[in-house]
Amino acid sequence: MTSPLEARSLSLIREGNDVLDGVSFTVAQGEIFALLGGNGAGKSSTLLTFLGFLEPSDGDVLVHGENVGSDIAAARSAIAYLPEAASLYGHMTAYENLDYFLDLAGKSAGRSDIDAALDRVALPDEARTRRLQSYSKGMRQKTAIALALLRETPILLLDEPTSGLDPVAIDEFHDLVTALAKGGQTILMVTHDVYGACQVADRIGLLRGGQLVGSFTAENGERIDTETVHAAFAQRQSA
Amino acid sequence: MLSNLARETRFLAKDRGALFWLALALTLSVIAVSFGVAEVREQRSTIATLTKEDAADRQNALKTQEDWGGAAYYALHFTYAPPSDFAFAAMGQRDSSPWKHRIKMLALEGQIHEADTRNADFGLVGRFDFAFLAACVAPLLLILLLYDLRASERTARRHDLLVATAGSSSRLWFPRAFVRVAALALLLLIPLWIAAIMQGTSFVITAQASMILVGALLVWWVITELISRIDALPSILLTSMIGVWLALAILMPAISKAAIDANNPVPDGGEILLLQRETVNDAWDLPKDDTMLPFAALYPELSDHVQIDEGFEWKWYYAFQQMGDEKASPLSQQYRGARLARDRQAGLVSYLSPASFVERGFERLAGTDAASMIAYEDNVRNFHAGLRAFHYPLMFPEVPYDAALLNDLPIYDPNPSSHDPSP
Repeated sequence: MTSPLEARSLSLIREGNDVLDGVSFTVAQGEIFALLGGNGAGKSSTLLTFLGFLEPSDGDVLVHGENVGSDIAAARSAIAYLPEAASLYGHMTAYENLDYFLDLAGKSAGRSDIDAALDRVALPDEARTRRLQSYSKGMRQKTAIALALLRETPILLLDEPTSGLDPVAIDEFHDLVTALAKGGQTILMVTHDVYGACQVADRIGLLRGGQLVGSFTAENGERIDTETVHAAFAQRQSA
Repeated sequence: MLSNLARETRFLAKDRGALFWLALALTLSVIAVSFGVAEVREQRSTIATLTKEDAADRQNALKTQEDWGGAAYYALHFTYAPPSDFAFAAMGQRDSSPWKHRIKMLALEGQIHEADTRNADFGLVGRFDFAFLAACVAPLLLILLLYDLRASERTARRHDLLVATAGSSSRLWFPRAFVRVAALALLLLIPLWIAAIMQGTSFVITAQASMILVGALLVWWVITELISRIDALPSILLTSMIGVWLALAILMPAISKAAIDANNPVPDGGEILLLQRETVNDAWDLPKDDTMLPFAALYPELSDHVQIDEGFEWKWYYAFQQMGDEKASPLSQQYRGARLARDRQAGLVSYLSPASFVERGFERLAGTDAASMIAYEDNVRNFHAGLRAFHYPLMFPEVPYDAALLNDLPIYDPNPSSHDPSP
């Protein structure tokens, strides 16, 4: 059975620098895979290759077994992407933003569906008809997450998804992601938050200097041990 | 596709910056069209007034005449090029070339060219009419609407989310830009269409003018699209686009005009006037045969009537007026030919400048281009030749004066069958 997401010996050179060097991994359906790494490790670049924004200099990226480069639009239609500090339109309300982006994705959703999604991300009712320029960073992020939910794609790519969220919102987000994975969505998230990754991920790949240098898997229904990952992360960072 | 356009139309309706530029486009269009309509109304009113007074003045002047020479001398004839029903959109050469004269049956070339320097200020600054708006201002508005479509999204870190959500760029950028270009074109054209209906402009001309504007906007859209693909800050993109606009809309027309003018020297209208007047003035001191024999060569049918016995005879007077025109004719033809040559070359160069192309296209449709103004001058020459053809067979054979025959004086027709100037 083909994996929803697969990187095969993925290499990427940007402006003469090796950003990714022979990275390989798969993410199974319903799995949460976290790529953990410091700044410049190549995390976001990995996501962008799955979206077709960056073309691998070597190797392949596959979505549902199909090379992304062969049909970028098909790959994107299977993916909901939540960029770091997602900036929706400040001059529009949450409803208007969601209407616009869903229409852009070729989907339609009624007001009740949108309200349900906003309820899931715990965006207050009174905020929904306000322009996003009056929102906190966390509220904007919640709106963007609601968009990802409403798109109902089989794959979710999350780039530093909890950046800017308060601890309560982070916990709520982790619960939400876990629920989505249980519902069958495949989730690839990149983060430098060791604790967050261990809280939510089924597997963690440690990325450093464009190479996958370590891997951790949750076993027997237990969470991945934070101390172990943190030690590996700190060691690798100082190496 | 329609749903994409509907989505981007709703999006545009919430974009205050874009709405400001679109409102400005509508306002400028209303102003430009209003100016043009007012100017045409003014010119038509002038023509109506002068036409009415012209007939009365001539009647008064002719009442007291007792010979053909006096009748020809004192009768003035109002000639004019009426503004077309599309002239409100492009006043063109009407601002720098004379479009009305009061003609006597004296030497003509001086009468035509003595008004050449009128409205010279418009020749320098131009007029804010619809043609100028379409040629120079509309591209700027389009640039302001489109320059940061991508770059502003990159700056807001929204670009990747938008494109990833849309699936492909074409589902996003094309409809977004199309809606802006279409809105701009519509808001510019609606006042033009309304004025065209009020002025009775034909559908074909209105449609052609609309196509010229839309075509030019499409060209500028392609230009801005190519530049906006550069991954740069919005300010750099705007500077680049303004630079291209400056080159194509301002510098290239100015440089090409200077080069064309240098390549096709046109004698000054004053030179023609001076040469013709000097010839006429000199004739007073020349032996009469020096005037009458060349005149007889021009009019062999009058050669039996060119003997001048008195010190002053009207037919000698009109003969040397005509010889003044004949002397000035090569210079006048050179003037005319060079203007047409300049116009032809400017037409070729306009393919390199969308602004020049639009301005020339509008002037051609409005009948205010160089060819139309030269056609008017030719029409005046033809009318003047008709005056000579009327008077000479009466004046030279010394037919007894009969004021009733003056009822058959040629009447100036502002709309002869063909306006095409012969080379």
